Amino acid sequence: MNAQTDTQPETAVLDLPPETVKLAIRDLNFFYGAKQSLFDVNVSFAANAVTALIGPSGCGKSTLLRTLNRMYSLYPGQRATGEVLLDGEDILGPRVNVAALRARIGMVFQKPTPFPMSIFDNVAYGVRLYEKMSKPDLANRVEESLRRAALWDEVKDKLKESGLGLSGGQQQRLCVARGIAVKPEILLLDEPASALDPISTARLEETIAALKSEYTVVIVTHNMGQAARLSDHTGFMYLGKLVEFGETEQLFTNPVTTRARDYITGRFG
Amino acid sequence: MTSATPAPLAADAPRSARGTGLDRAFEAICFGAATFLLVALGGLIVSLAVGGWPAFAHFGLGFLTSAEWDPVQEIYGAAGAVAGTLITASLALLFALPLALGVAIFLVELCPAPLRRPIGTAVELLAGIPSIVYGMWGLFVFAPWFAKHIQVPLMMSAKPGTIWEAITTGVPNGSGILSASLILAIMILPFMAATLRELFLTIPPQVRESAYGLGSTTFEVIRKVSLPYVRTGAIGAVMLGLGRALGETMAVTFIIGNAHGFPNSLFASGSTIASTIANEFAEATGVLHTSSLIALGLVLFIITFTVLALARVLIGRQANL
Repeated sequence: MNAQTDTQPETAVLDLPPETVKLAIRDLNFFYGAKQSLFDVNVSFAANAVTALIGPSGCGKSTLLRTLNRMYSLYPGQRATGEVLLDGEDILGPRVNVAALRARIGMVFQKPTPFPMSIFDNVAYGVRLYEKMSKPDLANRVEESLRRAALWDEVKDKLKESGLGLSGGQQQRLCVARGIAVKPEILLLDEPASALDPISTARLEETIAALKSEYTVVIVTHNMGQAARLSDHTGFMYLGKLVEFGETEQLFTNPVTTRARDYITGRFG
Repeated sequence: MTSATPAPLAADAPRSARGTGLDRAFEAICFGAATFLLVALGGLIVSLAVGGWPAFAHFGLGFLTSAEWDPVQEIYGAAGAVAGTLITASLALLFALPLALGVAIFLVELCPAPLRRPIGTAVELLAGIPSIVYGMWGLFVFAPWFAKHIQVPLMMSAKPGTIWEAITTGVPNGSGILSASLILAIMILPFMAATLRELFLTIPPQVRESAYGLGSTTFEVIRKVSLPYVRTGAIGAVMLGLGRALGETMAVTFIIGNAHGFPNSLFASGSTIASTIANEFAEATGVLHTSSLIALGLVLFIITFTVLALARVLIGRQANL
C-alpha cells in the first residue's frame, strides 16, 4: 500500500491537443477575501465536449465554474488571479466587458431560477438584450430553445403563463432553454439536477447530451454516475486543487492518483 | 422506575392531569390576550362612531362633502381636511417613492460592502426620529429656505392667467400644502427605503446571478428582474408609507399653515384631518365641535384602515408567490 502510494503522482492533468481547446485555465488562484479557495489550477476544456467537475463539497468546483463567467465580480472581496483564456483571449482582465462575456458563456444553477415573467419572456429575456429580432424570428428562437431543452411539448399551449407556475423539473429545463436561447458558446451547469426527481434528471441529461454537438459544456456534479454517463473529460478536485483530469472513461476505471481513486471507489467523500 | 407497565394514558393520571390543566390555563391566557386586543379595537371604533354621531346626524352626508369649517357659526364639513390629508400624503408618496427606490437599490446592488451596514443602519435610525423634531426643523429651517429658494422663484416664473399661476399663488412664507408634503416625504422616505431594501434582499441571489449570467447590465437586472420580483411587496411598502403619511400629525401641524377649507394652490395654507384635530381639540367647547372632530377621527381611521388592509393583502400575495 505504501509502496504503491509512493509511486503514484500527487496530481495528473491531461494536456488536450491545442486545436480542440475552447477554454484554457492557467495558474488560476481564487480568493474569498483573505481565504484562498483555488490553488494554481491549470486545465483546458475541449470545444464541443462535456467536461464534468467532481469532488467532495467545498473542493472548489463551483468556485471554478464561477470564475469562468466572472460571476464572482458581482461580489466585492472575491478575486481571481491567473488567466482564463476563451479562444485565446484572457477574460479575467480588467478591460473585459463582463456583460458581453456572460452572453457568450451561459450558466444554469443548482436551483431553478425562473424570472417573474411569462414562460415566453423568460426564454426571450436574454435574446432581447443582445439581438434585435422580428416577432416571428423571436418566436422561432423561443420554440427552438424550448424544444432543445425538451420542454416545448409541455408548455407550448401556455407560453403566456408565468414561469413560476411550472414544476421544479420544468423550471430547470426552462432555465436551460433560457440559457441556450442566447446561443452562448459555452454552457456552465452547476449541479443542475441536484433538486430534480429521477425522471426530470433523465430528461435533463438527454438535453445536455444533445447540446454538446454545438456547445462546450462544463458541468459540476455530485453524482458520479451522471459525470460518467454525460462527460467526455472529467476533473477531480480536492481542497481547492485540481488533482486529476483526463478522459472520463480512464479516470473512472483507472485513476492515476490515490486521491481520485479513493474518492471514486468511495473510500472517502 | 424499571417497571414494565407503560406510562398511564388515562385522563386521571397525576402527570397528565396537571399537565393538561396548566396547558388549558396557558391557552386561556393567550386567548384572553388576543381577545383583549380585538375588544380594545372594537371599543375604539364604537366610541368614535358614538362620539361622532351628533355631527353625522346634524350634517348628514354634507359632513363629508362640505369644505366649510367654521367653529364660530358651528358649521363643520370634513372635505377640506380630507382633501388636505389625501393631497399631502399622495404628493409625499410621489416625492418619496423614487428616492426610496434609489436608496434601496443603492444599498442592495451598488453600495461598497463596508458601507452597506452603516448606511443601512442610518436609514433605519432616520425612520425612528420623532415627528415633532421633523416639525420643528420644518418650521424653523426648511420653511424659510423653501420660501426663498423654491416658492418665490416658482411664483415669479408663473405667467399671469395660466394654470401654473393659479397653483403657485400663496403667501411666500414657506408653509403650506407643498411644504407639508415635502416634510412628509422626508419622514416616510427612510421607512420606505428600509422596507424596500428588505424586499430586494428577499430575491434569491441565484435569480439575480441568472440575469447577470445572460449578459444583463446592473440596470437591466434591476428593471427587468428585481423590480418585477418585488412588485407586489413594493406596493405594500408604499401603502404602509402612505398610511404613515396620512396619519402624521405634529410635523404637518407645524408647517401646513392650518387654514380651513379646500386648498386652492400648492402653496396655499391648508389642513389635514390630524392637524385639525390636534389644533382644535383642546379648545372645542360645544357638543357639535367636539363631535365633529371625533367624526373626523373616524374618517381618518377608515381611510388609514383601508390603505393598510390593502397593503396586507398585497404583501400576503407576495409571500405566497
